[in-house]
Amino acid sequence: MTLLLLFLLASLDGALCGCRTSMGRCPLIHNRKYYVMGVLRGVFAAQIVSGFSLICLLLVVAFSRNPQLLRADLVESARRMLFVFLPYAALVLANIALRIVPSTDLRSATSVFFLGPLTGIRPLVMITGVVAGIWRAQLHQTVFLGLFVLTLMLSVEFALNSYCNRLQQRQIRSLV
Amino acid sequence: MNLRGAQPTVCFLRLTLEQNSARGSALNFLLAVVVSRPALRFVLPARAQFLYSQLVFPSWNPAQPEISDLVVQHDPKTLQRLPVNKPEILKIFERFQNKKALRAIERIPAKEGFLDPAAVDRLMLTVHWEMQRLAEEFYHGHRVLKLLRATIAAMRSSGHTGPIRIVDVGCGIGYTIRWLAARSMLHKEDVELTGVDLNSTLVNEANRLATQEALPCRFFHGNAFSADLRGHIYISTGVLHHFRGDSLIAFLRQHGNETTQAFVHYDFQPWALAPFGSWFFHVIRMRTALARHDGVLSTARAHNAHTLVSAARAAVPELTTGIYGAKIWNTPAPRVFHALVGFRPALVPQLKQSLGRMLGELP
Repeated sequence: MTLLLLFLLASLDGALCGCRTSMGRCPLIHNRKYYVMGVLRGVFAAQIVSGFSLICLLLVVAFSRNPQLLRADLVESARRMLFVFLPYAALVLANIALRIVPSTDLRSATSVFFLGPLTGIRPLVMITGVVAGIWRAQLHQTVFLGLFVLTLMLSVEFALNSYCNRLQQRQIRSLV
Repeated sequence: MNLRGAQPTVCFLRLTLEQNSARGSALNFLLAVVVSRPALRFVLPARAQFLYSQLVFPSWNPAQPEISDLVVQHDPKTLQRLPVNKPEILKIFERFQNKKALRAIERIPAKEGFLDPAAVDRLMLTVHWEMQRLAEEFYHGHRVLKLLRATIAAMRSSGHTGPIRIVDVGCGIGYTIRWLAARSMLHKEDVELTGVDLNSTLVNEANRLATQEALPCRFFHGNAFSADLRGHIYISTGVLHHFRGDSLIAFLRQHGNETTQAFVHYDFQPWALAPFGSWFFHVIRMRTALARHDGVLSTARAHNAHTLVSAARAAVPELTTGIYGAKIWNTPAPRVFHALVGFRPALVPQLKQSLGRMLGELP
């Protein structure tokens, strides 16, 4: 259950990364389809990262001398990570939900006061979450896996941004 | 938005900067003392802290121009694109010790000392695409539409029966007009949606995008106030702060022709935290160095309500002018954008009725 929750959070983070990295790169007015594609691209990237992480996890567990202990240690670490990630995700989702209210001021306020700053602290939250998770880990493998997944998750936005930037520059070069 | 052609050219700009520099030297001495004693920073009065920030963040100094004001220049009469001397514009920012601007300009390719126009155009398109994202995020189209609906209704009730032409001055890639064309029914109410800019690359892009989505709007390269392009309602976004001193009055004076019924010019609202908020937001949201630099500097250069209203009243006394939407709801909290508005006096009573307290500062 804990790992499933982490997977869902990773997918949500990927979706938002995909949306964010697509923003400001399509000047059309009817750009919903474009953003949906961006979100799906992010979710897909998160699946790759999750899948890769899962393979590593299984390999580490398979080669571990004490798989039972490692599994318990991993679950406990993941549970501690959720204490950081869940409130952050809830705050982000609550602010996105607030944008349903048909008030331009309220919607803008969610951007200025919450979504913007929350985007700004995202890397910090990820680092804090993983460090909180592995801080009391009993095994080195757990620490290694935590840091490995953190690196992968932090690189998702960078990779998506590079990809979208390449597409955008190609499009602009075709115009000028 | 691009108004470089209507703006003073580099020569005029140099003159303005020289006037500022004499006053600056005394301040710089004071600031050097402050900077050498960081503890002072926290006990200084607000004005001194602001000056401190000017030295610490030279890119926030409102006396300097924005990069986009300089990298594209046009002949004010023929509107032809002029070559831009890279070392010359670098020199302008060197005088402000603005390393951010210098870095952003250094990255633009040049040929024989002149900026490569194609590279500049590509950069401007990237920046304007990015800026559209901010307009989307802040629901700018909805805000403009609300005000336009009320204005059009007031015009119709005061007897205006013919077509109404809305002109977006310095439209850039025409987001506002394209949004209005796509998301409102204004074009079915005999309202013509147009945008005008002095940058032909941006105008071509606006027309390309409008054609791609089959939007009922048009964009023109030229002077928005010329006889063939003039309209009944003028709108703009983030344009006013590009005009400094007398050029602000000169710009507003152009609204004084007999066809003008109203104008709505949105721009950043200056207040103590605006540059900080803008800096943070631009770091998070914007990607190009030029957009980050100019976006923050724009908030530092924005005119306050008093300056805008005084200039408007001096320039177009025949219109009733004021500030629209400065505060959020009924609180003292300022909006990011406020709008300088002007209306024919006959429209004002109905506008006051329909817009209520948002027009509270209109006489």
